[in-house]
Amino acid sequence: MIWYHVSLLAMVIVACVVQQFSPAFVSLYEARILVVPLVFLCSAVTINVGPMLMLAFACGFLWDAQHILGPHGGNADVYVNANEDVRFGYSIILYALMGFFMQGIQPLFREGKWHVSALLSGVAIFLYLFVEYMFITFIRGDFVVTRALLLKISFTSLLTMFLSPLVFWALFRLARLFHHTIRYEGLKTGRRAFVDY
Amino acid sequence: MKPLNLLALLLFLWGVIWVLTLSERSVRKIQQVYYAMISPFLKGGSELEVAARKFLEEVEHSEDLENRLKSIEMEFGKLRSIEGRLRELERENSELRNALEFEKRSSIEVIAARVIKRQPSTWWETAIINRGERAGIGPQIAVLAPGGLAGKIDTVDKDVASMILLTDERCQVSVQVAGTPEVGIVHGVRGHYGRKPELRLRHLSREAAIRPGMKVVTTGKGGIFPENILVGTVKSYIPGPVEGEAYVEPSVNFRDLGVVFVIAKEAEK
Repeated sequence: MIWYHVSLLAMVIVACVVQQFSPAFVSLYEARILVVPLVFLCSAVTINVGPMLMLAFACGFLWDAQHILGPHGGNADVYVNANEDVRFGYSIILYALMGFFMQGIQPLFREGKWHVSALLSGVAIFLYLFVEYMFITFIRGDFVVTRALLLKISFTSLLTMFLSPLVFWALFRLARLFHHTIRYEGLKTGRRAFVDY
Repeated sequence: MKPLNLLALLLFLWGVIWVLTLSERSVRKIQQVYYAMISPFLKGGSELEVAARKFLEEVEHSEDLENRLKSIEMEFGKLRSIEGRLRELERENSELRNALEFEKRSSIEVIAARVIKRQPSTWWETAIINRGERAGIGPQIAVLAPGGLAGKIDTVDKDVASMILLTDERCQVSVQVAGTPEVGIVHGVRGHYGRKPELRLRHLSREAAIRPGMKVVTTGKGGIFPENILVGTVKSYIPGPVEGEAYVEPSVNFRDLGVVFVIAKEAEK
């Protein structure tokens, strides 16, 4: 069972590499396929709360290592407030929140309705990006929500969502390979169900 | 909640607090390690992308190429004659400068680098170039491109570096509207996607005599960007109750950013 979790971590690292080859679609408001968040969201429904949190930590950590910008530098008298930006590690919290969101539909997933999870991964990506943007707005100031922004988030969510069946297929293969039973335990005690893939 | 889940949650919270309280130096170190690990894939991906693009261009424009070659040959002849005239003017200009006793003249040494990846992030306008520490590139150094200022270096690894483009909100530059005493800070515009990029110039006088078409250049203040580098052209000016602001069209074509020049050394001659 532990090997399945290790394989998920390996899959996240592979997703980080694949992410480098994902271009921005200029004609679609610079939307792009977010491979790392998608792998995390799809994986989140196949594991329990504890491993999900660990995976959220790994994904958020790697995501921020790639994206967070350094300090502005230069003379602070000239560049006033230039260093106000999100801190390294904020993505970990966002990933965990989205992980809990995905775990909310885990009972449907264990019934074999993986397509509901696939659709919800698109919704989760939309929420993730919107919350991330709001977070940046809150830190930097100036509330700006444009049509282009909403279209960018929507197209990114849609493009990413179309790739989710492929990720679920890979997860099922991994589960079978490592004899992992996808089970629902949730946060409450007493309720258990199992499904074999 | 199950004890194991509670333990996982506590561990997670501890991890989050640890990461959020990391020093800037530690964060940069982590990012350096990350880029060192990812750089072989970046280069591989870039080479693949370039090869595919070249092949497609060749297929699509093979007929055009012949016609273009002919017109280029004609243009080349013209340019050679112009070049001869320019060299003469350059010599004349140099003589005049000496005559006016320009004691100091700054010159900029640059390191040419190729953009190997554009926008690997959702909200930040960044690019990755194929030169790093080995080429003498460090963080917070200005980057130029054909046309003017392109941005500045953010993270540096041995053979690659990440740069923040001028079109990003976090890349702030101290600038002056040429021909006026108006100075301000220019930066990218948030929520501006899928259109031609524009810049926002803030902290201007509330009723500044700024007209569209005026050039915007760096002031050299702030310690990052050298002075008199072209940033863009004023598109519009909006007077405000306290201060005015202008929208600037960048002089660099960010859609076609292939080669950039990182400032290596600003030497005084």
